[in-house]
Amino acid sequence: MRQENIHNYLRSYFVANDCAILNERPGVLSVQLTVQLDKELMNRPFYWHYLEKIGGTPRPMSLSLITNQQSEEKGEFIHFGAPRLHQIFSSTKKLASSIRLYEEIPTTPHQQLPLHPWLGLNIKVSYQCDRKKHRLLSLGLHLVSGAVVSDFHDLLLSKSLTPKIPDYTFTISPIIKPSSGLTRLEGVVDMLVSQEEHSWADEAKKRWAADQLLLDQFYDGSTEVESYHVEKEALRKQYEPVITVEIVNGGIFYLGPGVELQKNP
Amino acid sequence: MRTELHFDQEWTNNFIKQIEEDGPWANWELFKLAIEAEKHTAIPSFTGLQAPAHLPHLTPHPYQLEAARRVVEEMNGKAILADEVGLGKTIEAGLIIKEYMIRGLVKKVLILVPASLVSQWAIELNQKFYIPAVVQRKSYVWDQCDVIVSSIDTAKREPHRSIVYDQQYDMVIIDEAHRLKNSRTKNYEFVQHLPKKFCLLLTATPVQNRLDEVFNLVSLLKPGHLGSYENFEKDYKGKEKSIEDEERLKALIQKVMVRNRREDTGMDWPERIVETVPITLSPEEEDLYRSVEALKKEPVATRSQFSIITLLREICSSREAAYMTLKKMLEKENVTDQARSLMTELIKKIEGVPTNSKAQKALELIQSIEGKVIIFTEYRATQLYLQWFLKEHGITSVPFRGGFKRGKKDWMKELFKNHAKVLIATEAGGEGINLQFCQHVINYDLPWNPMRIEQRIGRIHRLGQESDVHIYNFATKHTVEEHILTLLYEKIQLFESVIGQLDEILTRLGMRDIEKHISDILLHSESEGEIRIKMENIKELINYQQNQKEDTDATRKYS
Repeated sequence: MRQENIHNYLRSYFVANDCAILNERPGVLSVQLTVQLDKELMNRPFYWHYLEKIGGTPRPMSLSLITNQQSEEKGEFIHFGAPRLHQIFSSTKKLASSIRLYEEIPTTPHQQLPLHPWLGLNIKVSYQCDRKKHRLLSLGLHLVSGAVVSDFHDLLLSKSLTPKIPDYTFTISPIIKPSSGLTRLEGVVDMLVSQEEHSWADEAKKRWAADQLLLDQFYDGSTEVESYHVEKEALRKQYEPVITVEIVNGGIFYLGPGVELQKNP
Repeated sequence: MRTELHFDQEWTNNFIKQIEEDGPWANWELFKLAIEAEKHTAIPSFTGLQAPAHLPHLTPHPYQLEAARRVVEEMNGKAILADEVGLGKTIEAGLIIKEYMIRGLVKKVLILVPASLVSQWAIELNQKFYIPAVVQRKSYVWDQCDVIVSSIDTAKREPHRSIVYDQQYDMVIIDEAHRLKNSRTKNYEFVQHLPKKFCLLLTATPVQNRLDEVFNLVSLLKPGHLGSYENFEKDYKGKEKSIEDEERLKALIQKVMVRNRREDTGMDWPERIVETVPITLSPEEEDLYRSVEALKKEPVATRSQFSIITLLREICSSREAAYMTLKKMLEKENVTDQARSLMTELIKKIEGVPTNSKAQKALELIQSIEGKVIIFTEYRATQLYLQWFLKEHGITSVPFRGGFKRGKKDWMKELFKNHAKVLIATEAGGEGINLQFCQHVINYDLPWNPMRIEQRIGRIHRLGQESDVHIYNFATKHTVEEHILTLLYEKIQLFESVIGQLDEILTRLGMRDIEKHISDILLHSESEGEIRIKMENIKELINYQQNQKEDTDATRKYS
């Protein structure tokens, strides 16, 4: 992530959370936090507790974030490894966990347009043994026909979306309930993952078996001692291949007709 | 066989609830940002290091990055980091912890280090690696913090012990791990029972050739890697080790150990400029020295109670040091009258010594040096004397001892850096202080264990030292000091060459306790000539082994 990207990210995050920008120049961003974001980021529960007890006027803090290290400005230097940035990343995720949006399509009073319901999920698959990697998936399920499209998020980015149902449009009721939609998409993830190469897991099991063999030789039959079991369990934790599927965020999207005709993944 | 998938249900449950309650729904901008953040933090590949991109302020050396990569990719996160002193093992360990934390493989880390290094570790991890390491001071810290730095002595004691065992650490780091070489100690047993998913053992002492110790360390890390104890004994500890056995063992050890030497780092290290400073004793000092030396022939003195060699060494350092030893001897019970009168006589002689020729020389040298100077001495009494002596001549100095608490050590280091010209350290002051801002070391008296010399020089000849390092060895003429320095240390080029190999060589020769060898030679030789011959003998042995080693290293390199 380049420093300019970080600057833009921070700016969008604070604006989206209704914070006023106090000062902005390339590499420098000062913002006035709202009460909500102060509580979210500044880690001063005692202050807020005290204030609410006495009913005082809240004074949320302001933040100066520097993304250009050469800048003379005072503030917190933010780079890709900065704990503050990762705090903001996870805050974003927490604040944007689920959503409902409608597509804005030009219409007229005479030509009412139907919007189709979609369940969209952004998914992080983690492949873990003694090593770890991720794969991001974005899937959309047409809650009428059951069609599934991949790269759903990219598709959404190409559309104009709004939180309120636009004038002269109406929504089609889902035939598939969201809860069964979720189950269907789980099945799709399962299928996608099973089509992948799994040599990494086999290799990990080989490494595990090799270390287990050494361990058995070391204890040479006296496997009732406690440390043997401690070591054995530690090997399992170290090597056992596990795939976890985490939903980053998702929502219900009402989109103009035609999307479901795209090719399935 | 395919791997089972685990679906995270928490999000799903919340989502269903939100649909039922018709919101609240997130804002589209934030929703997009969350995906962007995820794209930046997702890790696309099992291999490669993510940590450097997170650490813009840190510029690790190529060998440190390579060490971290090997540990993660080739050693599966269990390794002995055994770089030579001053090459930055902490940096390598930090890179590895960071890498695992970024990848989400490690959350809880237990770092066990000598008590004197606890705060330094915590500070380095926080400042250099943004790893929120916390020093264990209260027992609730165990439960509330994920990354903990503690001394092993604290952690192994109840009530901590049980709490630590309950924590399920993902990673255990042990600094100065050579202290765990003995498998019968409480510390060893404590660490053995600690679950170690990932584990790093840090040590600067090469363990290659001490078979028991290497077996114990490796078995702590990866039990069975060197076989069971019985098999190991049988295979490697027989009198006649074959070359193949030795090579096989070496290969096994290399699979779990990273050991960088200065010469392999591909970096330009500042030079070591070594100078011997001869000291001539004043007539009174000379007289004192000779009277003690003469005791070698006195049966009363040699039989017991009298540590002649110690006294001789002390006289070369300061009359104060010798006085303290004599005083202690006198205070002992069952001192024979004859011994007592010898001692009292010596004390009288000590009182008659008006000046300290060595201190005088040190003063001249310090005055001629522009920068800061570290003086190492073996004796507390000398340390105190020197501090007083330098002050008399308007030179500010700070004392430094191993026994100081961490806070005091840091304070003394700061005082030295900002306010004083000289730091006077006793032997134990070595481990864990970094004084790269200083370029001059005076070995006021020499330790007889050559390994300790490297510990001393390693304080300043380490990463971050940008200028050449000057080492002044003080040697009093015609004394034990001169014997050690000119007959042995200089001939084996102790000060120039980095010592890692010497330790291996001494082990091969069965002379790990070289100190005792030398004492014996000095005590039992009839004449100067005999001392010379015996010392020459040791030197030849060491040089022979060294050449042999270089030969094999060279063949290995080019074959």
